[in-house]
Amino acid sequence: MKIHTTRFGELDIEESRIITMRGGILGFEHLKRFFLYAAGEKNPFWWFQSAEDSSVAFVVIDPFLVKADYTPEICDEDERLLELEKAEDVVVMGIVTIRHDPFGISVNLRAPLVINAAKKLAKQIILDNEEYPVQYAVSAGRTRTEQAATVK
Amino acid sequence: MLILTRKLGESIKIGDDIKITFLEIKGKQIRIGIEAPSHITVHREEIYRIIMEQNVQAARLTAMTGKELPVVLDELKILLSGSGEKKG
Repeated sequence: MKIHTTRFGELDIEESRIITMRGGILGFEHLKRFFLYAAGEKNPFWWFQSAEDSSVAFVVIDPFLVKADYTPEICDEDERLLELEKAEDVVVMGIVTIRHDPFGISVNLRAPLVINAAKKLAKQIILDNEEYPVQYAVSAGRTRTEQAATVK
Repeated sequence: MLILTRKLGESIKIGDDIKITFLEIKGKQIRIGIEAPSHITVHREEIYRIIMEQNVQAARLTAMTGKELPVVLDELKILLSGSGEKKG
Protein backbone atom coordinates (compact mmCIF):
# COMPACT_ATOMS: atom_id res chain seq x y z
CA MET A 1 0.00 0.00 0.00
CA LYS A 2 1.47 3.32 -1.07
CA ILE A 3 1.27 6.04 1.57
CA HIS A 4 2.32 9.59 0.92
CA THR A 5 4.17 11.33 3.75
CA THR A 6 5.43 14.91 3.91
CA ARG A 7 8.69 13.88 5.52
CA PHE A 8 9.62 10.64 3.78
CA GLY A 9 7.82 10.99 0.44
CA GLU A 10 5.94 7.96 -0.82
CA LEU A 11 6.35 4.83 1.27
CA ASP A 12 5.25 1.30 0.52
CA ILE A 13 3.76 0.04 3.75
CA GLU A 14 2.23 -3.38 4.16
CA GLU A 15 -1.34 -3.29 5.42
CA SER A 16 -0.30 -5.62 8.27
CA ARG A 17 1.89 -2.84 9.69
CA ILE A 18 -0.97 -0.38 10.07
CA ILE A 19 -1.85 0.33 13.68
CA THR A 20 -5.44 1.27 14.43
CA MET A 21 -6.11 3.75 17.21
CA ARG A 22 -8.69 2.75 19.79
CA GLY A 23 -9.41 6.20 21.10
CA GLY A 24 -7.25 8.71 19.36
CA ILE A 25 -4.25 10.79 20.22
CA LEU A 26 -5.72 13.78 22.07
CA GLY A 27 -5.91 16.68 19.63
CA PHE A 28 -5.67 14.25 16.69
CA GLU A 29 -8.70 12.09 17.40
CA HIS A 30 -9.76 12.18 13.75
CA LEU A 31 -6.63 10.18 12.78
CA LYS A 32 -7.12 6.46 13.31
CA ARG A 33 -4.42 4.77 11.24
CA PHE A 34 -0.71 5.06 11.94
CA PHE A 35 2.44 3.04 11.36
CA LEU A 36 5.84 2.88 13.01
CA TYR A 37 8.72 3.88 10.79
CA ALA A 38 12.38 3.51 11.77
CA ALA A 39 14.16 6.83 12.27
CA GLY A 40 17.49 5.61 10.95
CA GLU A 41 19.88 2.88 11.84
CA LYS A 42 20.40 1.89 15.45
CA ASN A 43 18.36 4.81 16.68
CA PRO A 44 16.27 4.48 19.80
CA PHE A 45 13.57 6.53 18.06
CA TRP A 46 10.70 5.66 15.80
CA TRP A 47 8.30 7.74 13.81
CA PHE A 48 4.64 7.28 14.53
CA GLN A 49 3.40 8.42 11.16
CA SER A 50 -0.23 9.00 10.26
CA ALA A 51 -1.41 6.97 7.25
CA GLU A 52 -4.22 9.46 6.74
CA ASP A 53 -2.59 12.87 7.11
CA SER A 54 0.78 12.97 5.39
CA SER A 55 1.98 15.88 7.54
CA VAL A 56 1.31 14.34 10.96
CA ALA A 57 4.14 12.34 12.48
CA PHE A 58 5.35 12.02 16.04
CA VAL A 59 8.80 11.03 17.21
CA VAL A 60 8.40 8.25 19.76
CA ILE A 61 10.91 6.53 22.00
CA ASP A 62 11.05 3.57 24.33
CA PRO A 63 10.38 5.43 27.60
CA PHE A 64 12.37 2.92 29.63
CA LEU A 65 15.53 4.20 27.95
CA VAL A 66 14.80 7.62 29.39
CA LYS A 67 13.53 6.51 32.78
CA ALA A 68 14.65 3.01 33.70
CA ASP A 69 12.21 2.64 36.62
CA TYR A 70 9.17 3.76 34.62
CA THR A 71 6.17 1.60 35.54
CA PRO A 72 3.08 2.60 33.57
CA GLU A 73 0.01 0.80 34.85
CA ILE A 74 -2.52 -0.07 32.19
CA CYS A 75 -6.03 -0.17 33.62
CA ASP A 76 -8.38 -3.10 32.99
CA GLU A 77 -10.54 -1.12 30.62
CA ASP A 78 -7.59 -0.11 28.44
CA GLU A 79 -6.42 -3.75 28.43
CA ARG A 80 -9.85 -4.78 27.21
CA LEU A 81 -9.99 -1.99 24.65
CA LEU A 82 -6.60 -2.96 23.27
CA GLU A 83 -7.45 -6.69 23.50
CA LEU A 84 -4.24 -7.28 25.43
CA GLU A 85 -3.84 -10.86 26.56
CA LYS A 86 -0.12 -11.48 26.76
CA ALA A 87 2.46 -9.24 28.40
CA GLU A 88 4.85 -9.71 25.49
CA ASP A 89 2.36 -8.07 23.11
CA VAL A 90 2.52 -4.77 24.99
CA VAL A 91 4.69 -2.06 23.50
CA VAL A 92 4.88 1.27 25.32
CA MET A 93 6.14 4.37 23.52
CA GLY A 94 6.61 7.90 24.78
CA ILE A 95 5.78 10.83 22.50
CA VAL A 96 8.81 13.09 22.18
CA THR A 97 8.68 16.88 21.95
CA ILE A 98 11.70 17.89 19.89
CA ARG A 99 13.61 21.09 20.50
CA HIS A 100 16.82 22.32 18.92
CA ASP A 101 18.73 21.99 22.18
CA PRO A 102 18.81 18.28 23.09
CA PHE A 103 18.58 19.30 26.74
CA GLY A 104 15.17 20.80 25.97
CA ILE A 105 13.81 17.59 24.47
CA SER A 106 11.10 15.97 26.55
CA VAL A 107 9.04 12.79 26.63
CA ASN A 108 5.44 12.57 27.72
CA LEU A 109 5.49 10.00 30.52
CA ARG A 110 1.99 10.81 31.76
CA ALA A 111 0.23 9.84 28.55
CA PRO A 112 2.19 7.09 26.76
CA LEU A 113 1.14 5.28 23.62
CA VAL A 114 0.30 1.70 24.40
CA ILE A 115 0.37 -0.63 21.42
CA ASN A 116 -0.84 -4.19 21.11
CA ALA A 117 1.92 -5.36 18.77
CA ALA A 118 0.14 -8.60 17.88
CA LYS A 119 -3.22 -7.07 16.99
CA LYS A 120 -1.90 -3.67 15.93
CA LEU A 121 -4.17 -1.67 18.19
CA ALA A 122 -3.08 1.43 20.08
CA LYS A 123 -4.27 4.07 22.49
CA GLN A 124 -2.75 7.07 24.19
CA ILE A 125 -3.54 6.23 27.79
CA ILE A 126 -3.56 8.68 30.69
CA LEU A 127 -1.84 7.29 33.77
CA ASP A 128 -3.30 7.84 37.20
CA ASN A 129 0.18 8.39 38.59
CA GLU A 130 0.55 12.16 38.77
CA GLU A 131 4.28 11.86 39.43
CA TYR A 132 4.87 11.17 35.75
CA PRO A 133 5.18 14.51 33.96
CA VAL A 134 3.83 15.42 30.57
CA GLN A 135 7.23 16.98 29.86
CA TYR A 136 9.95 14.73 31.25
CA ALA A 137 13.36 15.99 30.14
CA VAL A 138 15.29 13.31 28.29
CA SER A 139 18.40 14.81 29.85
CA ALA A 140 17.05 14.39 33.40
CA GLY A 141 19.87 13.31 35.66
CA ARG A 142 22.44 13.68 32.88
CA THR A 143 25.15 16.23 32.66
CA ARG A 144 26.05 18.14 29.57
CA THR A 145 28.97 16.21 28.14
CA GLU A 146 31.49 17.84 25.85
CA GLN A 147 30.35 15.70 22.96
CA ALA A 148 26.66 16.49 23.28
CA ALA A 149 27.21 20.17 23.96
CA THR A 150 29.42 20.88 20.98
CA VAL A 151 27.08 19.48 18.33
CA LYS A 152 24.90 22.45 17.40
CA MET B 1 -26.53 22.16 32.45
CA LEU B 2 -28.38 20.50 35.29
CA ILE B 3 -27.69 22.32 38.55
CA LEU B 4 -28.40 20.68 41.90
CA THR B 5 -27.79 21.69 45.50
CA ARG B 6 -26.46 19.00 47.81
CA LYS B 7 -25.38 18.89 51.45
CA LEU B 8 -22.14 17.42 52.71
CA GLY B 9 -22.31 13.65 52.80
CA GLU B 10 -25.01 13.59 50.17
CA SER B 11 -24.52 12.08 46.73
CA ILE B 12 -25.70 12.18 43.18
CA LYS B 13 -26.04 9.22 40.88
CA ILE B 14 -25.27 9.30 37.19
CA GLY B 15 -26.89 6.36 35.48
CA ASP B 16 -27.05 3.17 37.48
CA ASP B 17 -23.43 2.78 38.41
CA ILE B 18 -21.75 6.14 38.95
CA LYS B 19 -22.02 7.79 42.35
CA ILE B 20 -20.46 11.09 43.36
CA THR B 21 -20.39 11.99 47.04
CA PHE B 22 -19.59 15.46 48.40
CA LEU B 23 -17.23 14.86 51.29
CA GLU B 24 -15.73 18.12 52.49
CA ILE B 25 -15.63 21.84 51.78
CA LYS B 26 -12.57 23.85 52.76
CA GLY B 27 -12.63 27.46 51.60
CA LYS B 28 -12.85 27.27 47.83
CA GLN B 29 -11.96 23.59 47.65
CA ILE B 30 -14.37 20.71 47.52
CA ARG B 31 -13.43 17.09 48.10
CA ILE B 32 -15.58 14.63 46.24
CA GLY B 33 -15.60 10.87 46.13
CA ILE B 34 -16.34 9.08 42.89
CA GLU B 35 -17.51 5.51 42.62
CA ALA B 36 -17.60 4.23 39.07
CA PRO B 37 -17.07 0.95 37.25
CA SER B 38 -13.54 0.24 36.07
CA HIS B 39 -14.39 0.95 32.43
CA ILE B 40 -15.17 4.58 33.26
CA THR B 41 -12.00 6.67 33.33
CA VAL B 42 -11.92 9.58 35.75
CA HIS B 43 -9.35 12.34 35.45
CA ARG B 44 -9.19 16.00 36.36
CA GLU B 45 -10.50 17.91 33.37
CA GLU B 46 -7.35 19.98 32.86
CA ILE B 47 -5.13 16.92 32.24
CA TYR B 48 -6.92 16.33 28.92
CA ARG B 49 -6.18 19.89 27.85
CA ILE B 50 -2.54 19.67 28.98
CA ILE B 51 -1.96 16.40 27.09
CA MET B 52 -3.74 17.70 24.00
CA GLU B 53 -1.57 20.82 23.99
CA GLN B 54 1.56 18.71 24.44
CA ASN B 55 0.60 16.45 21.50
CA VAL B 56 -0.06 19.44 19.27
CA GLN B 57 3.26 20.99 20.30
CA ALA B 58 5.10 17.70 19.71
CA ALA B 59 3.69 17.40 16.18
CA ARG B 60 4.31 21.07 15.39
CA LEU B 61 7.89 21.22 16.69
CA THR B 62 8.75 17.95 14.93
CA ALA B 63 7.45 19.40 11.65
CA MET B 64 9.24 22.72 12.23
CA THR B 65 12.62 21.17 13.01
CA GLY B 66 12.63 19.87 9.44
CA LYS B 67 16.02 19.04 8.00
CA GLU B 68 17.81 19.64 11.28
CA LEU B 69 15.89 16.84 12.93
CA PRO B 70 18.37 14.03 12.14
CA VAL B 71 21.08 16.16 13.79
CA VAL B 72 18.93 16.74 16.86
CA LEU B 73 18.12 13.02 17.05
CA ASP B 74 21.82 12.17 16.78
CA GLU B 75 22.54 14.51 19.68
CA LEU B 76 19.79 12.86 21.65
CA LYS B 77 21.23 9.44 20.87
CA ILE B 78 24.63 10.57 22.14
CA LEU B 79 22.97 11.95 25.25
CA LEU B 80 21.15 8.69 25.94
CA SER B 81 24.10 6.44 25.16
CA GLY B 82 26.34 8.64 27.31
CA SER B 83 24.14 7.94 30.30
CA GLY B 84 24.32 4.22 29.58
CA GLU B 85 28.10 4.31 29.77
CA LYS B 86 28.01 6.11 33.08
CA LYS B 87 25.70 3.52 34.58
CA GLY B 88 27.88 0.65 33.40
